[in-house]
Amino acid sequence: MAAVAAIFIVVAGAACSRDHGVPGVKTVKPDSVPALRGGGPARSPRLANYKIDARLDPSKHTITATETLTWTNNGASEVTTLPFHLYLNAFKNEASLFMKQSHGELRGATKAADGGWGWISVESVQVGGVELLSKWKITPPADDKLFPPERLAPKDETVAELALPTPVGHNETVEVTFKFTAQLPEVFARSGYKGDFNMVAQWFPKIGVRSGPPGAEHWDCQWYAAHTEFFADFGVYDVTLTVPNNYRVAATGVLVAKNDSAGNTHTLQYHAEDVHDFVWMADPWMNVMSDKAKLEDGTTVEVRVYYRGEQKDFAVRHLQAGIAAIERFSAAYVPYPWPIMSIVDPPVDAGGASGMEYPTLITTAGDSVFARPGVRLPEYVTIHEVGHNWFQGILASNEFEEAWLDEGVNEWADTKVMDETYGAATSGIDWMGWQAQIFQLRRALSTDPSALPSPIATAAYAFVDSANYGEATYVSTMRALHTLEQTVGPTKFAAAMKTYAKTFAFKHPTGRDLFDTLAKELDQDLSWFFSPVFHQVGGLKLAIRSTSCRPGHPDRGVYGDGSNRKFVSDGESKDKEKEAGSYDCEVVVQSTGVVHVPVDVEFRFADGSAQTGTWVDHGDSWKRFSLQASSRLVEVRLDPENKIGIDSPVTHHERLDGDGAASMRAAAWLASVTQTLMGVVGP
Amino acid sequence: MRIGLGDMLSAGARSLSRYTGTLLSVFVVQTLVATACMFAMALVLSQAFSHLPIFDEGVDGDLVSLVESYFYARPSFTAIFGLMFGAVVMWELVSWFVVGGLYGVLAQRPEGRSDTARCFGASGASTYLAYARLSLCSLPAMAVVLFAISTGLGLAMAHIERALSAWDLLGPLFIGLLPGMLLLHVAWTITDYARVELTLRHDTHDPGVIATYLRSVSYVLRRPVTLVHGAIGWACVVLVTIAYMWLAAGHSMYGAEGAVILWVSRQCVSLLRTAIRVGVLAGQVELGRTRPQPPRRVEAKVDIKA
Repeated sequence: MAAVAAIFIVVAGAACSRDHGVPGVKTVKPDSVPALRGGGPARSPRLANYKIDARLDPSKHTITATETLTWTNNGASEVTTLPFHLYLNAFKNEASLFMKQSHGELRGATKAADGGWGWISVESVQVGGVELLSKWKITPPADDKLFPPERLAPKDETVAELALPTPVGHNETVEVTFKFTAQLPEVFARSGYKGDFNMVAQWFPKIGVRSGPPGAEHWDCQWYAAHTEFFADFGVYDVTLTVPNNYRVAATGVLVAKNDSAGNTHTLQYHAEDVHDFVWMADPWMNVMSDKAKLEDGTTVEVRVYYRGEQKDFAVRHLQAGIAAIERFSAAYVPYPWPIMSIVDPPVDAGGASGMEYPTLITTAGDSVFARPGVRLPEYVTIHEVGHNWFQGILASNEFEEAWLDEGVNEWADTKVMDETYGAATSGIDWMGWQAQIFQLRRALSTDPSALPSPIATAAYAFVDSANYGEATYVSTMRALHTLEQTVGPTKFAAAMKTYAKTFAFKHPTGRDLFDTLAKELDQDLSWFFSPVFHQVGGLKLAIRSTSCRPGHPDRGVYGDGSNRKFVSDGESKDKEKEAGSYDCEVVVQSTGVVHVPVDVEFRFADGSAQTGTWVDHGDSWKRFSLQASSRLVEVRLDPENKIGIDSPVTHHERLDGDGAASMRAAAWLASVTQTLMGVVGP
Repeated sequence: MRIGLGDMLSAGARSLSRYTGTLLSVFVVQTLVATACMFAMALVLSQAFSHLPIFDEGVDGDLVSLVESYFYARPSFTAIFGLMFGAVVMWELVSWFVVGGLYGVLAQRPEGRSDTARCFGASGASTYLAYARLSLCSLPAMAVVLFAISTGLGLAMAHIERALSAWDLLGPLFIGLLPGMLLLHVAWTITDYARVELTLRHDTHDPGVIATYLRSVSYVLRRPVTLVHGAIGWACVVLVTIAYMWLAAGHSMYGAEGAVILWVSRQCVSLLRTAIRVGVLAGQVELGRTRPQPPRRVEAKVDIKA
């Protein structure tokens, strides 16, 4: 028995372990391309420029670094303090805002019960060579208007403020130098390490954004919250990374130089222009595959996928999806401005790092035995994260205040790219005979927007809960834009979205900018749509209220008086329109939500004929359709072309006579499953 | 006389050819229960969907329509799962009678239809409560099985969540479930042989249920052929099911004609599985006859008048 148990344990151990062998020294060649594809002038104001020199200790997962920030005040008012994000402190303890909101769980990943904490420690802050550490102050969230009492985190250390010795005036520049140490957390949310894998994101002191009207500017420098983390100014990054020479590194920008260093390390020098963040990955086990995306102007973008050996099959799929995304987003909005896109496929046990977007580098997800070829979750994640290089990377909206503007708009755009790449009917699933369009699938699996207590245009930190944030920000926005697109026409809508992208590229657009651009480009007042859909609770609740269909006949009865009195019966037709054999049908459609959109209605009759109608009034809550036909009404279908994405389609299609055939077929299948189970428990 | 695996298997085949009518009767009862369940489920579904063509599209293979329909009428699907569960539990209770009857027929080998029916009914009725008590006796073993299965699944789950290939998935799943499934097989085999003992010795020895169960534990662990024989039966059941799934894959069978073909083919598969199970019972009876007889229960009768 003991021998059997021993064999069992050995076999089990062998089956459950993966052996990677020994990592070799990586051959690295600098990229011989400019940081902006094709070179050319600056695309952004470049207000926040960084020079960082960092060294990774792979055993402790720490980074020791120096940083020089050159920041320009382009506002009209002068600045006396500079706020900085210290986002790794979100993982320092359970008193941070992030940990209080997430409770150590995010997107299916859970923080290790003990240990694995991460933090950033600033050891020196200098301006003009003068040490200002004494003027460096942590500023926890204390605004109880912004955060309800249960969400206040007075010990949060993710934002600090530096009081300047002298104010920085309009168009003046200040240079701040830091020395800091960053301890990566064991990854469960975006940034951190797992084994030898290091995903280094939100790792350096990063200045906030000065926004608002000229003369009344204010700082936007939010604490690290559970769901949102992006809002920063564009700039130039020159970052030097010293890592062991057997580590593969992927980073924002292009590699401009590589030098061997002491202690089996090499120093990699990266340069990135017109980006608002810098992220990097270091892992000794990563392989890389690459190919080129071809843009409409004939130029190319190199797409690289970093993957571990066991994930090679998925890496091929990510590469194809990444290329498709670069090509199609470039064609639909503005061309991808950088020469390289790096896609990191994190190891399967580092799922917390997956599915994140950074300029020119993303992490993808979805690698699983259940994601067979044709089940397009891995492709969708890659396209979504690459898409963020437009919706947030180039159109750098404020994710804290308007998360829907990057996540939701991107989600809608992703469905277009998926449809174009994999075919509309099979963009979500095409496996074992099962097919699904990605938009329809996402809608089917989501909550009805009318049931959500917080509307789409809610600040990320003000949603009632994470579920509402996720549903409204991602899916409801996607459903809303789909509805508007189908209502005004896909071609016109695509052109308007392209104008929005061109107008606000490398700026900080707001939701108002998007609404105004669409209204202007589509040449119509769209407030009837934007206001209830994005700012109000209630959604769209469309339904067939009642249907009836009776054989038509003349108006029977007694007509006239005295000698003129006449009896009219079925046989005596007074009304030529109501001839025998015709039918009088009536259908009432209701819309009880706050959103009212034009609705097409299709009426089908027993003889196979059909009639259509449209309900265009935006304010009414019901509409009666009276029909005459030569045959009985058998089916009513609202929105037959499936244009309305913000409502569930289940009750949009009804037949007047019940038909239990499908129910019987389904029941027969379920009964055979039941019978199989019965055969297990009994004879 | 020592009975081997071959004898047990051939006893199964012999009994199936001899008591085909009994087998069909049991199968008809099973089918009636499943059919009643089917009509109840059809009623629930048609209440929710008879006016909504989207469900038709879902049943015809449109995944999105199926998902939309599920979320639209989730309580109906909960009711359906309740009906399925109820049918299986009811069949478990019915099976105590059916198995008792089958064991009785296989043990006493009556001739003729009416004698067989009488024997089936008498044996099923006389052993029913003993089988019920036996189920209670086997609860601790089933608790151990459940613990082993849940522990194994729990250990395997961490690997399954990260599985990239079929081997990554099936390897840990197999390893995780194997101890629990083996224990389950042992527990079920013990119960089967206890039932055989209770049926065979009911008239002459009136054996106690707990004692019979404990004797069967010892017997099954000492005679691995009992486990091998049962495992062959389960392997055949699984093979038949997989073969049907393989043959049915890609044949959608739409419309009324398709539904009828589907129903008939599924019933044929169920009949085959029932035949395999009955064949296994016959082999168990064949082996059970050779077991040493249990001690007779001696009851002291007290004459109150005396």
